[in-house]
Amino acid sequence: MNEIDPAIPLRARSGDEKAFIEIVEFYYPRCLRFARNMLGNDQDAEEAVQDAFTRVYDSFPRFREDARFDPWLFRILANRCRTSMARSRRHRQMIEYGELPLMAVAAAPEEEFGADWAEEVRVVLETLPPEQREAFLLRHVEDLSYEDIAAVTGAGLSALRMRVKRACDALRARLEKVER
Amino acid sequence: MIVEERDELIDRAARALAALPPADPLAVMQIVSLARTRRGTRHPLAARFAGWMRTPSFSLASATMFAAATLVIGFVSGNAVERAASGSPASATRAVELMPAADVGAAARAVAVPMVLDARSATTVSVVGDFNNWDATATPMQRFGGDGPWTATVLAKPGRHVYAFMVDGVLTADPRAPKARDVDYGGEASVLMVTKP
Repeated sequence: MNEIDPAIPLRARSGDEKAFIEIVEFYYPRCLRFARNMLGNDQDAEEAVQDAFTRVYDSFPRFREDARFDPWLFRILANRCRTSMARSRRHRQMIEYGELPLMAVAAAPEEEFGADWAEEVRVVLETLPPEQREAFLLRHVEDLSYEDIAAVTGAGLSALRMRVKRACDALRARLEKVER
Repeated sequence: MIVEERDELIDRAARALAALPPADPLAVMQIVSLARTRRGTRHPLAARFAGWMRTPSFSLASATMFAAATLVIGFVSGNAVERAASGSPASATRAVELMPAADVGAAARAVAVPMVLDARSATTVSVVGDFNNWDATATPMQRFGGDGPWTATVLAKPGRHVYAFMVDGVLTADPRAPKARDVDYGGEASVLMVTKP
């Protein structure tokens, strides 16, 4: 079962705290999975998930009665992940322009292979542009429809299909090299 | 027309990424506790002004209005906290509600940190640390859902803090946090690192 009983978000919306706890319990593993795959870092992922649920709690009055909960939640979470990535980028730039170019000494992706398959996939995933990574994860890992992904990202359907296709092409090309 | 190509390799990649992390009831409690606390401390108008600040049309005029509004919100929320302190708080947000109004300004840059302890057999638990002067009465914890873990929220400024739980009168370190090495009051304690929000 991937989606929660639609009555539960409506109960949470009307102030039922137990319903909110049920939502966090139900979605926490999925949200953490998405944030880890997007951010590639456990601590940032946990913070993004915590922040997303806090925003969900605050924003329940704006959740429409006829809306589906999954796209709404993932929209908030994807926004938190983008904010976290922007923050990391700024931090990385500070390091790169500082005394120690830490990123420059990090091993190239090819050199990091050799761990298990999941780790290899993650390393390759991190090389994708964020919007392609996001579209790929929402489509093929979170199993959202393109209509739902459009609601999450605000992008058009054909742009999303192109992002997923490009992500698949890039993943395939790099993973084939790993397998050789 | 874009044709979606999902072959065996992409399938395997997607399956590898689809492994779910295990359920984590304590993380769930922390999130719920934090959500309640933040709602208690955030003024709705502050969120609206934060939205203004992010808009491209942000100008000197709106900055001036924001500064004025911040003063008003600070005054109003200070009174709100003072009122809450005089009531009978019974939720996990008690740490915030107990803040004296005079301390509201000083705590403006503090971060709400949820605390959770699984001590089912305990009868009274509180959080003590350098953020509340090790006062065992300042931050009592509440049982989550009647018989669940103990939860509370503390306000701590960014930086390193040392803290512990007072469990039925006994100082107890947080089993989920690193141990403090510089404890000088005769008990075990833990380290809390608070980063800037």
